[in-house]
Amino acid sequence: MRKSPWLLLLLPAFAFADDVFLKGGAVFSGRIVNQTETMITIDIGDGQVGVAMTRVDHIVKGRSPLDVYDERAGKLASGDAAGWRSLGEWAAKQSLSAQSRQAYQKVLATVPGDPEARQALGFVLVDGHWLTEEESYRARGFVKYDGEWMTPAEAQMAQASADATQARQEAETRANQAEADKILAESRAAKAEARAQQAEARDTWGTPVYMGGWGYGVNAWPYPGQVTTWPAYQPPPQAGQ
Amino acid sequence: MSARRVRIRGALSLGAAAIFSITLAAAVAPQTPAKPTPTADQIVARYVAARGGLEKIRSIQTLREKGRLTAGADRQALVTRELKRPSRSRFEITVQGVTGVFVSDGQRGWRMSPFDGDTEPTALPAEVVSEAAEQADIEGPLVDWKAKGHQIEMAGRETIDGHDAYKIKLTLKSGAVRYEYIDTKTMYRVRTDSTRQVHGQPLQIKMTFGDYKKTSGTIFPHQIDIAAAGRPQTMHVVVDTVEVNPPLAEDRFAMAVPAQP
Repeated sequence: MRKSPWLLLLLPAFAFADDVFLKGGAVFSGRIVNQTETMITIDIGDGQVGVAMTRVDHIVKGRSPLDVYDERAGKLASGDAAGWRSLGEWAAKQSLSAQSRQAYQKVLATVPGDPEARQALGFVLVDGHWLTEEESYRARGFVKYDGEWMTPAEAQMAQASADATQARQEAETRANQAEADKILAESRAAKAEARAQQAEARDTWGTPVYMGGWGYGVNAWPYPGQVTTWPAYQPPPQAGQ
Repeated sequence: MSARRVRIRGALSLGAAAIFSITLAAAVAPQTPAKPTPTADQIVARYVAARGGLEKIRSIQTLREKGRLTAGADRQALVTRELKRPSRSRFEITVQGVTGVFVSDGQRGWRMSPFDGDTEPTALPAEVVSEAAEQADIEGPLVDWKAKGHQIEMAGRETIDGHDAYKIKLTLKSGAVRYEYIDTKTMYRVRTDSTRQVHGQPLQIKMTFGDYKKTSGTIFPHQIDIAAAGRPQTMHVVVDTVEVNPPLAEDRFAMAVPAQP
């Protein structure tokens, strides 16, 4: 349903985005850039994502925080450090990390030592020098393992655990592959089971982030811009296959 | 799907400074008769009273909190937590315009996490459902602990971020052990320590609570810091709004029907 342009004028500028609600509750919010009978593509401000229309429950079109960001950014002079700083802070509060990063980088272009911008971009002041987050962690002896910073001993244990899990899963997969293929071809129920197995395989590795008594669920810090199409892109079969 | 994976990180370094503070405090303490240490049961009773009292706490049937989560540079999210008696929980996290949903009714749970490539609901593993049920205890495990089958015992006193705190060992009915730190002055909870399995290894998690504010007669922390021992990064939650007893339809916690292929 498209809202009346007159109605939109009466609404707060940042109140609405193009919201694509999936069956089950997940939402993509941004700017719809393309829509066909089979696929919808949304610009989330850090790349575009495509979703099969069969997964879409409903769509609410409106003005996106990305629009607000672009509008505000368009009015700022490149040397307006205070303006870019304010915009960076605003974007961070909207969880628009890409836009926040862009705005703070504008600040640094004008004021290279701006502490707020430096900290927002992950720099750490060590002995009067700004180090990147990674540099500061390395300096403290931490290592990066699967995107996480941890002690070398923990990384070693995590790798050993991952290797064992992978070996077990691969063995199970090989053992079940022939039978699974046959069943998958024969019934929808088998497909559902396969999906469940895939989910379980992910979960055995991706232990959900523990958010204390406050929340649960995510098993990694999400980077939606890293994924461009849901479901995963399936290449067409090549000739002779 | 090749999303980068960055999990909880960070660690609070209590260590030497805290130990030194405790030692120094003991060394210079005046020679006055020491007050008898209250029992764990007495501390929990005072903690419940400080939160607003048993009647107020029990009157909370549903709860919705909205806030912001940061885990370092470039890692900001909007988060919403909804709880409903008994054991219903719904957690939503939005990053860069993409919202994932994690739901449990206490018996079963499901997620829809576009970040992991999910475009249809998938069941949560049993251990996550169990954890979700524990987190869905809307009043916290110390309230009515005995009736819930938990056990508590006094485990001493420690200084937590400058707060003198009682340390309570809490053994949940499930067998999981937590340590709850209650500020001796305010009687608010200032920290919870727990252990969980990550990558097959035990990982100590510290959660620090602060910026308490009252909503509908009950106090709630509006700042929560979450850190893992041995990790340099921390996760911060700032709670912007707390709604007590908002209408939460039962179907928000029902198992979603997987999409048909």
